[in-house]
Amino acid sequence: MLGDLLLVPFVAGLLVTAVLALAGAGLFLRGSVWQALALGQWAAAGGVLASVLHWPVLPVALALGAGVMALLQRTPDRERLPLAVFLAGLAAVTLLAANFSQASLAAAAWAEGQLYFAGPQELWAVAALALASLMLVPGLLKVWRHAQLAPDVPAKRAPAAWLRLTEIAWLVAAIVLGSMVLGLPAALASLLLPAWGAAHLARDLRGHFLWAQSLALAGFLIAWSLSLPLDQPFAPVLVLVNIVLALVARMVAIWR
Amino acid sequence: MPPNATPAILSVQSARLGFDRPVLGPLSVDIPNGARWALTGPNGVGKSLLLKAVTGQARVHGGRLHLAPNVDVSLLGQDHPRRQPWPLSGHDWFRAMGANTPDQPRIQALLDRRLDRLSGGQWQLLRLAAALHSGSAQPSRERLVLLDEPANHLDAEVRGDAVDLIAALPANATLVMTSHDDDFLRAIGVENHPLEGYFDAG
Repeated sequence: MLGDLLLVPFVAGLLVTAVLALAGAGLFLRGSVWQALALGQWAAAGGVLASVLHWPVLPVALALGAGVMALLQRTPDRERLPLAVFLAGLAAVTLLAANFSQASLAAAAWAEGQLYFAGPQELWAVAALALASLMLVPGLLKVWRHAQLAPDVPAKRAPAAWLRLTEIAWLVAAIVLGSMVLGLPAALASLLLPAWGAAHLARDLRGHFLWAQSLALAGFLIAWSLSLPLDQPFAPVLVLVNIVLALVARMVAIWR
Repeated sequence: MPPNATPAILSVQSARLGFDRPVLGPLSVDIPNGARWALTGPNGVGKSLLLKAVTGQARVHGGRLHLAPNVDVSLLGQDHPRRQPWPLSGHDWFRAMGANTPDQPRIQALLDRRLDRLSGGQWQLLRLAAALHSGSAQPSRERLVLLDEPANHLDAEVRGDAVDLIAALPANATLVMTSHDDDFLRAIGVENHPLEGYFDAG
């Protein structure tokens, strides 16, 4: 199942899935689901725009994703504005695809995902992000724990501004790179669904992170095992598998 | 300050408080270190707003609000809606609040449970305990504990525990609370201070 050609995509996919599961658990705790959708959509718009301008994809996608996150952080509105920004991103991609042939190809690649074509460049980028994530975990947990408290206020100091900015930059990098490697729908499915399923199963915060990782990695492995022998594109299979896993988690929580 | 007066842990001088614009004041009040105060008054008089201004959740638009140096402030907000699902346990909550867990059996029994599965009274009791113990691990620093309507949602089963928790606050910590529940205030034995009495004349 893992020939030489597929080893790099498999490892890159597995690593980015672990990072997305961590980011998804954090976004779930922050109640920022719509922000993730808006950010991912504008990362895709950045990728499509880069293809039109013949610029490198990652910096443009990161720049647009960071711009969107900076805008959304300036408002307490967690639903309507992020939804409007998401729709604007969708419109931008559609318009670019309708007017430029290379944009149409790029838009299709972002929508369908191109995990099987991930190369060493993507693998190195994902490995660097995974390593950075491991190092950042204690700080990220501090930010996410503190985000649960309002309107209550603890006697200890709030996380420093640099740590909160680092968390936002890391979320942007995780979603942009995840969308690049897995495709936007698959990245969002790895981001949001395992964390949602885990929230029903976990007994506490630690359990939430562990269950999110377990569900996300199980989803990736099942989708990989199904899509290759059945000769199906990976991204839609992953989305469906993650939906099923999240629903099973919900049912197990009700049952027990 | 008179020679034997206790120094103020919180000093408010002609302060105008609000969010986007001032809606309260000018107001002047000095709260002595170690006090046990209940701010009273009708709804909308500004009790909660004053507590929020102390923690920086509301703004001081004019005048002065000064906290003594080396003071750690904790606040129990008036209401804390819980998301569903919310995968946090009682232990997670105390850790997030930077609070040691008290010995009360009723609190200990809540620590391993998920917060979204507690009753309203249990949730209020847990939050109250965490706010009262937040920062207690650092005895070298002074503490100002603010409780906004702590008797909300407390049923008869946990009301006595809440009174015991507040009464057990160390003497070197200062307590300022708001409440409309006269029985609760009497049980705790705090001084009542109607907030209207601190508005500047004119």
